[in-house]
Amino acid sequence: MISVSGLRKSFGAATVLDGVDLEIRQGEVVSVLGSSGSGKSTLIRCINGLEKIDAGKITVDGFDVSKPRELSEARKRSGTVFQLFNLYPHMTAVQNIALAPVEVLKVPRKQAETEARELLQSVGLTDRADAYPSQLSGGQRQRVGICRALAMKPSYLLLDEVTSALDPEMTSEVLSILAKLAKGGTTMVFVTHEIEFARSISSRIAFLDKGTLIADLPTEEFFSDKGMALPRVAQFLSKMRKD
Amino acid sequence: MKFDLSILAKHIPFLLEGAWLTLQACTLAVIGSLVLGLAVGAMRTSASPLLNRVAAIYVDIFRNIPFIVQLFFFYFGLPEIGIYIDAFTTGVVALSIAGGAFTSDVIRSGILAIDPGVIEAAQVSGLRKSTIFRKIILPIALRASIRPLGSVFINLILTSSILSTITLNELTGSAKIVASNTFRPFEVYFVLLVAYAALTYAVSILIGMLHRHLNRHQQEGAV
Repeated sequence: MISVSGLRKSFGAATVLDGVDLEIRQGEVVSVLGSSGSGKSTLIRCINGLEKIDAGKITVDGFDVSKPRELSEARKRSGTVFQLFNLYPHMTAVQNIALAPVEVLKVPRKQAETEARELLQSVGLTDRADAYPSQLSGGQRQRVGICRALAMKPSYLLLDEVTSALDPEMTSEVLSILAKLAKGGTTMVFVTHEIEFARSISSRIAFLDKGTLIADLPTEEFFSDKGMALPRVAQFLSKMRKD
Repeated sequence: MKFDLSILAKHIPFLLEGAWLTLQACTLAVIGSLVLGLAVGAMRTSASPLLNRVAAIYVDIFRNIPFIVQLFFFYFGLPEIGIYIDAFTTGVVALSIAGGAFTSDVIRSGILAIDPGVIEAAQVSGLRKSTIFRKIILPIALRASIRPLGSVFINLILTSSILSTITLNELTGSAKIVASNTFRPFEVYFVLLVAYAALTYAVSILIGMLHRHLNRHQQEGAV
């Protein structure tokens, strides 16, 4: 379980997260929605320890991410996929994927690379396995990014606006993979602007507004009367649908 | 005056010996300054303020003192306090230390130019700091630094001519001897000039090849 309680985070004078409580259990797909600047990405960056939190507590399977000793254990349990892919530019797709299993989990290189190729096959990139990131399209890069996160066999997948840098066609490439993962029971925290997609794969929706979690509801409730009863949510949804 | 290179024929073996010494000193100094530069470059980008400060002081000192003064200090100064080092070792060490200051600057900007997101990706995947440095930061920074490192190393080769001032008969030192023995400074220094130009040109071609090889999979201008 990922447990976030009383999380506060500010950058200088700007408070980005102002007392967030959230729990994500194994098997859940939780989409985090909210307008730009509402703190969605910061929430993910706090969970994987990229940002130091100011107050509150985050644990991943009981490991406290603010304690350096426990952070490495917490990080072994979650995988992150980034908006801008962040692939290692000097390594091929396979090398990108196999690096952490070899170095962190001590998987023999041969085996790690075989598994990397299997992952690539599962996202339809068999023939791009030995390509470098600069030789791949955005959608292909993001699929490699997803494989890289999955290679560590994480209990939780953290997805930080993974389609925001992609055109619609590439977006659907990536989303179809995520849908497959969700169906397969992968636990996901999905920060996104893809409302309809979030609705189709999520078990729960968390809605952030100005650093506060103003809704945390099962998906269908969020998109029905209960969510609409919240003015901020109604406004957000109507705006997004118009676009 | 007649320009006649043939009078140098019998001095060629002697000059080649000097060239060989230059090559040895430069090769060792390039390795030395690369090792030093990597260490200091890493220190300058580290999170520790102390390491940062120490590294910055080193770079500031050795970039702001003429090489010949550093060399004299090591070779003529240190024996006064009981430290005797032979001319060749002194030369290599002095070149390495001076070259290391410039090299570390190049490495440092190579490291700072890395997309922070790439390092974050490595961090969240659970890689240890030392692994991230070895497998991610260093290879990316070095690839981006090949050309500027080439300039530093070429400068190192040119600077190595100053080693002739501490009794080291490398290329320049040998040429001086030949010039005074033959009374033909024009021909001797003409040859010296061509020799250095050829040496540095060869190095810059090598650097270009290395750069293209290491960056063959990157987009033009991306790295």
